[in-house]
Amino acid sequence: MNVLKAKEIGIASIIILLCIILTIINPVFLSIDNLLDVIKGNAVLGILAIGMTLVIITGGIDVSVAAVTTAVTVFVGFLMMNLPDNFLSVVIIFIAAPLFGMLLGSINGFFVAKIKIPAIVVTLGTLSIFNGGIIYLTSGQYTNSTNFPQVFMDFSNLDIFGISILVYILFAVALCTGYILKYTTIGRSVFAIGGNQQSAVRVGINQDRVQLFVFAFMGFLAGIAAIVQIAYTKAIDPNGLAGLELTVIAAVVLGGANLMGGRGSIKGTLLGVLLLAITENGLILARIDTFWQRVVVGLIILIAVSYDAIQNKRAERKRSTIEVEDEQEAS
Amino acid sequence: MADYILEMMHVSKTFPGVKALDDVYLGIEQGEVHALVGENGAGKSTLIKVLAGVHAPDEGAEIFFEGEPAKIDKPIDATTMGVSVIYQDLSLFPNLSVAENICIGKDGRLPAWSFMNWKKMKRMAEEALDEMDVPIDVNKNVDDLSIAQQQMVEIARAIAFDAKLIVMDEPTSSLSHSEVEKLYNVIDKLKAKGISIIFISHKLKELFKVSDRISVLRDGKYIGSYHMDETTEEKLITLMVGRDVSYERKSRFNQIADEVVLELKQFTKKGNFKNISLQLKKGEILGITGLVGSGRSELAQAIFGLNKPDSGTLHLHGKKAKVRSSNEAMKHGIAYIPEDRKKQGLVLNQPVTNNISLPVLRNMKNPLRLLKKKDERKMADDYVERLDVRPALPDLKAMQLSGGNQQKVVISKWLATEPDILIIDEPTNGIDIGAKTEIHKLLQELADKGIAVIVISSELPEVLAVSDRILVMRQGRVVSEMSGHDASQEKIMNFAFLGSSDKEIS
Repeated sequence: MNVLKAKEIGIASIIILLCIILTIINPVFLSIDNLLDVIKGNAVLGILAIGMTLVIITGGIDVSVAAVTTAVTVFVGFLMMNLPDNFLSVVIIFIAAPLFGMLLGSINGFFVAKIKIPAIVVTLGTLSIFNGGIIYLTSGQYTNSTNFPQVFMDFSNLDIFGISILVYILFAVALCTGYILKYTTIGRSVFAIGGNQQSAVRVGINQDRVQLFVFAFMGFLAGIAAIVQIAYTKAIDPNGLAGLELTVIAAVVLGGANLMGGRGSIKGTLLGVLLLAITENGLILARIDTFWQRVVVGLIILIAVSYDAIQNKRAERKRSTIEVEDEQEAS
Repeated sequence: MADYILEMMHVSKTFPGVKALDDVYLGIEQGEVHALVGENGAGKSTLIKVLAGVHAPDEGAEIFFEGEPAKIDKPIDATTMGVSVIYQDLSLFPNLSVAENICIGKDGRLPAWSFMNWKKMKRMAEEALDEMDVPIDVNKNVDDLSIAQQQMVEIARAIAFDAKLIVMDEPTSSLSHSEVEKLYNVIDKLKAKGISIIFISHKLKELFKVSDRISVLRDGKYIGSYHMDETTEEKLITLMVGRDVSYERKSRFNQIADEVVLELKQFTKKGNFKNISLQLKKGEILGITGLVGSGRSELAQAIFGLNKPDSGTLHLHGKKAKVRSSNEAMKHGIAYIPEDRKKQGLVLNQPVTNNISLPVLRNMKNPLRLLKKKDERKMADDYVERLDVRPALPDLKAMQLSGGNQQKVVISKWLATEPDILIIDEPTNGIDIGAKTEIHKLLQELADKGIAVIVISSELPEVLAVSDRILVMRQGRVVSEMSGHDASQEKIMNFAFLGSSDKEIS
């Protein structure tokens, strides 16, 4: 059994190539510390991209993720102001934040599944509403860690075997989601809806429920991402994640998911996140101006997606003749 | 009386403007292979869709499954009851594995959060495939399978779902000879298991090989059911045609000039059509007919530059010409009106005026490259009057018109390009009868004015009513050419179904 599909091997080899180049330019790159920092620094992106993968497999999209995540960070900030400095508080945060995120995600899901509005329209709307609400509640003010309970700071700095807790959280999310996709009927329904919506309904899959699920799950993971974001930045910044939704979608698409639905994998998405993360890190280590980073990331996305589109067209052409070839019946 | 697994009685289905099924009966005996035949549009697909829960029948229909009254409101009701339909375009999940595709029907009924046992799933899929004796790797993605293999996966899914009645809609249309043989084997195996099968096909020969009984539909009506050994291909064809509808035929043969406008020599495209040679004269209406899938529409698209032929030449006004795109075709004076006017012919939410002017916008610009609104409007008014589009309001949106009037707008649009050659595919599809006659008259008037017209149609009375000359296509070849006067429905059907006229005329 091959662990990676052809496409994932493609991304993986680009990553390896990139790593070699970056190491030659700046040997610091290949140090374990730097690599772990890269992953830690992109844990939020990774968690959100995992949730987005499910949404995209069903053929949907969620551009409100950054807003939802920010909204949850504000909510967690409010919790921290009011919770005692006690271990239980962290537990409460870990229960309440994902649930709050799930609630916001369910709003998206409700409009997509029940009212049948295209996901892009729904989430553009909620993006605006959530952002507006955040600015109203915080007046756009930045909150730093001086107001955080010590127990949360301890959690943020927790290392196990020298690896940050945030990295473990990312991989736990990846494993659980991968498991849901492969071993539960709802996971398979996600693929079925994206692969052939009409047949999926014909075999009795409840499309509304699947759509509601992917958006709610996206929100749930946004809640976890919000905790990670606060732990990583040690602050609550109402504008800190602005524009992140595009990077999230880019990572998923780079990872081989098809925006038309049906294709996508957690492994691929993680590789997509890694590719974006390494590119960014490498450009920093190579001391290239930050605005070039955006250009390079954009180029990578365009190249990867065009390559994919061309491949698909070729495969399509190979399969297109279905008419009967006329064998004259001599009888 | 034999044991019936399925009996459908008094099934009618009315679509806006069309009665697709009219008091149809269908009885399937336990464990038989039952063929269902009829011309294009006779109502076979609609009947199957009623059975599958895709369409709800009109009031008064009664359906009995295994002797019990059946209530089929949704597709899943049919499958749960034990009816699996294998559609021509298949309904697999290309992104999932064979095992998942086979088991998904069964799991569809499980709660959302149940866990999947891959081992069990694979075993179940393998068992289903084993029963049919077709070895397919259940780990493979369906995407990577051939069409024939995909079909087998569909059948395996039906088996895994404990189907008692499997409907196969044109299952052999995209299979090679050896694959068809394999399918027959599988059908035998299913029969041995006691599964009943409804087999829909245009290929009469194969029906005699696989089926026990046959039911014939015509114009949405039930004609009868027959034992295969009591009937013949010729008899079936006579039952399928003999339509009650016929349109008045206006003679106008004296107006055809001798000037050849379009000539094809040995036009060939692999998998579409082969060695097509034809001549089209100024002012002539050439009807091209044949079964769906005989290559008619593909040929039309090739003439219009949308489907590049592999070999053969095209001559316009006696000169060899290359038509590589629809744009070039238009420049050469060819217009093509596709079958699906809603999808390909009209911008439905735009006014009639804009629709008519669309192909000729470039001729309507003033020196500032702005649109000459007045000219545009004048042209639209002109066509609306000439073709008698009703209501005669060019500001109406195209979607507000009836089917017949929409078709007139589409024709206007292409007339605006002032073509010498007009190719029109299924000109009266989904149009009520009164409007059909009007479109026929219009096509004849156009020919009288010197336009060479190719009419592609499955509706034989229509072809007979308008054509000066008729070509019958079958499996990508022209199998017969006849003059409009000598043609009859039986003659055409014999060629379309059998490739020869057989005893009927000799």
